[in-house]
Amino acid sequence: MPFSVHTSHRAILLLPAGLYVVLVLLCAVWPALRLKAEEARTPRPPHDALVERGRAVYRSFNCVTCHTQQVRGYEAKAFDLEGRRVVPVFTADARFGTDAASTAREYDWQDPPLLGTQRTGPDLLGVGLRLPGAQWHYWHLYAPRSVSPDSLMPPHAFLFTKDHPPPAEAMDYDEVVPIEGLGLEPGERLWATPDAKALVEYLLSLKREALGGTR
Amino acid sequence: MKIPVGIPIFIAAAGTDPRFAKLVSRYLVSAGLWLLVASAVGLLEAFRLVHPDLLADSAALTFGRLRPVHVMTVLFGWASMALVGLSFYVVAKSAWLPMHKPMGRAEMTWANVALWLWNLGVAWGIGALMSGDVNSGREYREYPWYCMAPIFAAVAIVGVIFYRLIARRAVAGIYISCWFILAACFWVAVTVFMGYQPWFTTGLADRVIDGFYIHNAVGMWFTPLAVGITYYALPKLLNKPIYSYALGVLGFFTHLIFYTVIGTHHYLGSPLPDWLEAVAVIFSVAMIVPVWSSTGNFLMTMRGERLAISHSYSLPFLVVGTVCYGLASLQGSAQALPAVQEALHFTHYTVGHAHFAAYGFVTFLVWGAIYGLVPRITGREPPVMLVGLHFWLALAGMAIYVVGLCSGGHVQGASWGEGRPFTESVRDVMPYMVWRAVGGVLMASSHVIFFVALWKMRPGAFTMAFGAQGGR
Repeated sequence: MPFSVHTSHRAILLLPAGLYVVLVLLCAVWPALRLKAEEARTPRPPHDALVERGRAVYRSFNCVTCHTQQVRGYEAKAFDLEGRRVVPVFTADARFGTDAASTAREYDWQDPPLLGTQRTGPDLLGVGLRLPGAQWHYWHLYAPRSVSPDSLMPPHAFLFTKDHPPPAEAMDYDEVVPIEGLGLEPGERLWATPDAKALVEYLLSLKREALGGTR
Repeated sequence: MKIPVGIPIFIAAAGTDPRFAKLVSRYLVSAGLWLLVASAVGLLEAFRLVHPDLLADSAALTFGRLRPVHVMTVLFGWASMALVGLSFYVVAKSAWLPMHKPMGRAEMTWANVALWLWNLGVAWGIGALMSGDVNSGREYREYPWYCMAPIFAAVAIVGVIFYRLIARRAVAGIYISCWFILAACFWVAVTVFMGYQPWFTTGLADRVIDGFYIHNAVGMWFTPLAVGITYYALPKLLNKPIYSYALGVLGFFTHLIFYTVIGTHHYLGSPLPDWLEAVAVIFSVAMIVPVWSSTGNFLMTMRGERLAISHSYSLPFLVVGTVCYGLASLQGSAQALPAVQEALHFTHYTVGHAHFAAYGFVTFLVWGAIYGLVPRITGREPPVMLVGLHFWLALAGMAIYVVGLCSGGHVQGASWGEGRPFTESVRDVMPYMVWRAVGGVLMASSHVIFFVALWKMRPGAFTMAFGAQGGR
């Protein structure tokens, strides 16, 4: 029997399978290998337990489903007066407190980089520069519409507690400054749990330090 | 006992192994149940985009965790299981296997093992996601690896079974449906392996794999299965040959070559290599060739069959599915153009497009094939009134949802492009979120009706009494 895709079941298995594997090697594995080699030239960032825990909380609540961490731009061959390469930002992305598009080095060693594909809420790549106060983030996580009236974010009140934290662990909690809109009774106190504290620490760390922490 | 009225259905079902009928039916009923779960979750999420405080007290039910529950259940519970269930029948028939005993005893056992592995993977995956064990930032593979492993094993098992059935065929030629179905099983195995491999998990290397995975998990699995099944179901239900077999072959190979290399169009403007983005944009436009080879082929086959279509309760689903395949894919090619993507990427337009393809295209073709083919196995037809209601509710819901979200996406994109504050775009898009919920209600209620109709088609007294008792 001739080795034809029309009459040989071996051929109709092996030909599409082989073609697919070759294309996967060319368009996924090969570029990934090259990018990995590039990444290996950057030293790993110093270990920060609280930020890493916060990133785990961010991933556990899958915040990336509504928040990108990516400012898009064309890799045009443009240079500024000092000869540095400039990547023009997409106008749609220009509002997020920065004049530079994302660069490869900003994502080195992140497992995984949280670029995202959906922007139901705003981009968070430079949120630590735009909103540097921890209390604002506590208010926003506990009751989003207390500080951002049009926000569509679901409240994450389960990350907070109204019970006084045990004295031995009090260091891991942060007391929330009461404001109107949190719905607290007079005299009622609110604490951010260690998870909330870590999450906010992570958000505040998003300062685009690979760009020198500048706007 | 109710005897089917249609003579072809009577003859086909009377010659079919009842255990085979039960196997297919188990896959489809499992899929139908997952569709109900996914619809309930999707509906809750849609309501929350209007009322964000809804059921917000529980960490397990939080928006971020339930969204992958909805998407993963639709993809790996509903669409995958329904397509695989139908594929058993399509492969057996197009390999001309004797329907009184299409599968051996061992194959039947393994096919049932795969069914339960599949259900286990989806159920376990939902539990993992709700408990916060989310493979976050990696779309369409949010399950932790150990929940995807049973599904991977199930795909491997059904792939081997399909290969054995095709190898045993009673004719020399291998029909194009078998090409698509067999290849899809191999392609998705490679894709899922790439999605969970441990070597490229950090930095941009991870994002190259991500673009590849989110693209190919959809288009090298659901698309070839749905198209392959339609290449069997459509000519069968119209009782005529396909318009052009050669177009099918062209579509198969161009789909393979063009589709595989365009995953990076999900990351235009990102720091990923320019050449990958360029390849993605160029071949995204080239996707017009495989898409219209298939849709054009289907439309030309339907040509002149208006009477047959208007008298059928299954063909209208295939018409909608074919048209949506063509239009959603054209939309996808347009979306891959950098200028379009600059404005519309990240907006709700993407979600509209995803539903246009996964719902209008894949799900409608699945429904058409189920209503058209399942009675030929079980001898039990669905109540026509229910099918009609299902069709119109699903079509109206899908239209409202897709048009609503695509329009809303334009509103967002325009607002962002003009540099207005972000919260303003959130406020402006609200009316479209209401339309999304309205469309969602219609679609979800049509799924309840579909499940009732599916239940009425399950193997019954007729199947057992008349169905050939294979192996006896």
